[in-house]
Amino acid sequence: MKSMNAHVICGGLTFEEVPVELREKVAFRDAQLPDALAQMRNMLGLREAVLVSTCNRVEYFGATAQPDRAAAAWPDFLRRFHAVSDDFSALSFQMHGMSCVEHLYSVASGLKSMVVGETEVLGQLKEAYDVAHTHGQTGKWLNRLFQSSFAAAKSVRSRTAITRGHVSVGSVSVELAEKIFGDLRGCRVMVIGAGETGERTARSLLRHGVISILVANRTFDRAATLALELGGEAVRWEEWEEHALDVDIMISSTSAPHYVLTQEKLAALVRRRGRRPLFLIDLAVPRDFEPSINLLDDVFLYDIDDLQSIAQTHLRERQTEITRSMEILKPHVERYMEWAGRQTGESDADDVARGLVPA
Amino acid sequence: MTKVGRDLNLALRAVLGLTGSVHDRLWLFLATLGYLASAGWGLYAVGSQRPHANRGTFLLILGAFALHTLFLHQRGVAIQHCPITNLFETLAFFSWSLVLTYLVIGPVYRMSILGAFTAPVVFLINFFALAAPIDLPSALPHLGWRLELHATLALLGLGVLGIAALAGVAYLIQERQLKRHVLTSWFYALPNVGRLELVQQRVLVWGFAIFSAGAFLGFLIPHHGPDDWVKIAWSGVVWCLYAALVVVLALGRLSHKKTALLSVAGYVFILLTFWGINSLSEAHVFPHEG
Repeated sequence: MKSMNAHVICGGLTFEEVPVELREKVAFRDAQLPDALAQMRNMLGLREAVLVSTCNRVEYFGATAQPDRAAAAWPDFLRRFHAVSDDFSALSFQMHGMSCVEHLYSVASGLKSMVVGETEVLGQLKEAYDVAHTHGQTGKWLNRLFQSSFAAAKSVRSRTAITRGHVSVGSVSVELAEKIFGDLRGCRVMVIGAGETGERTARSLLRHGVISILVANRTFDRAATLALELGGEAVRWEEWEEHALDVDIMISSTSAPHYVLTQEKLAALVRRRGRRPLFLIDLAVPRDFEPSINLLDDVFLYDIDDLQSIAQTHLRERQTEITRSMEILKPHVERYMEWAGRQTGESDADDVARGLVPA
Repeated sequence: MTKVGRDLNLALRAVLGLTGSVHDRLWLFLATLGYLASAGWGLYAVGSQRPHANRGTFLLILGAFALHTLFLHQRGVAIQHCPITNLFETLAFFSWSLVLTYLVIGPVYRMSILGAFTAPVVFLINFFALAAPIDLPSALPHLGWRLELHATLALLGLGVLGIAALAGVAYLIQERQLKRHVLTSWFYALPNVGRLELVQQRVLVWGFAIFSAGAFLGFLIPHHGPDDWVKIAWSGVVWCLYAALVVVLALGRLSHKKTALLSVAGYVFILLTFWGINSLSEAHVFPHEG
């Protein structure tokens, strides 16, 4: 009779232990996943398997009666599949039973992400699970495990502030713009200077729906090039103030040694443009916008230090939510372990926790 | 029973109005407790950083509003008039109109967070109405439809202007955070300044229109005796203040911040003077029934 003993196990490489130079050697492209899953399942002796490959982690999840075999075979599988000679055995983590369940739930909730609380990883887990499920590599253990991990992650996101606040200059700028204008569709942006930071911030705003981008630079050709890349329009340096009348957001990152925009100049501009709010993002060092501009009504000025400080604060706040999130995950983990115990006819969840899941 | 116990008992019965025949004050008392709970929950909702906690504030206020309405209904049935015949009832109706506006504005503009501002104000108005000895039977005026409409619209207008002022307070808090670059839990709980200014200004215009309709209807009501110049002057000052605000708003001459500040200042003036003016306005003399 076929044995029904099964251990839920997982292992792999994460950004915490393994540098990107090694991770990139063993990352799986989407097209490789079906083959990789089949080979991995065979080599590791897994009944069910899911393979997760993101820029920060390459991990497997499986159900097996032979957890030791799977752990031993994982580094070999990586070497063989990717045809590399590196030894990954010391760098790979291995877990089974309750630890593995807790790990997956934490990953899905963004608690183990490089940027704590980021939500992209949940989408990546869903895709990895879908691929495995579509190719018939999952069964009752992993189906239940992944589906419950998605529900657990949703619960953490809705009951804590783990995803609140953005943690990069670009996304903080978008968050602030949304708190000033609401919906960014309909907002017009002007980029002053063709610097890289300004470009990245403009791209973040574009992704959130701003309708037009003007680029002004002392060298018109550079303005034209950047405008082309952003799908915007270049304006001549001597004309930018006139165009500023119509914009809602101004991003500046010039290398000018003096203020490009003074309070006096902007006050006149504000009077002409009416009561519409104006969001100024000064990414230049030395600064392009005179700080006292922030005293004008309906004008909101942020420099690079302000934005970085907000991003750091958000990151710290997210870290403090980890403990609360773990408490929320606990009942989800217990429910899965109880279910696993019932599947095996064992009522002692402790045995299940140790990975002893007899049928 | 000890003396302290007797005193407490008497005080409680006095607040609830249980010594008299009118027991409807119990409903207002319970509603006021509901508003207190809403205010507490509203503050918790802001501080807790839980995205859905504001729904709790809205539901608590809705429950308290039901009790508040029950009070007004019972009082209306008991006195056979619209319950605005003394200062106590007027204050209760005034606070009720504030809540009614919130309950309309909150869902329409997705601004249930305004409950955290509305509940404390309504609690304070009701608390003082219940605690002060102002629930005195008055010589009931004959409330023809014009008089009822005049008083109701004027009070409703003041309620709507109150919500505009509270939206102004919310705007000023959010604007201050954006200006100072310090993002507290209020930053996340409050809507964007664009929506706050939109709501504040629209509600302000509506409030002004309703208050104006109520105030001008007053001139069409026949009455005996001298005019109530104290109240007419007060209403004139309030009307002029808001008319000026609406005009500069339409002309786009004031910044959003100054508009919000003036809206709040105008309402603080109303709150600080409403009691006194309505106490003095007993001089309203109407043709009595029969």
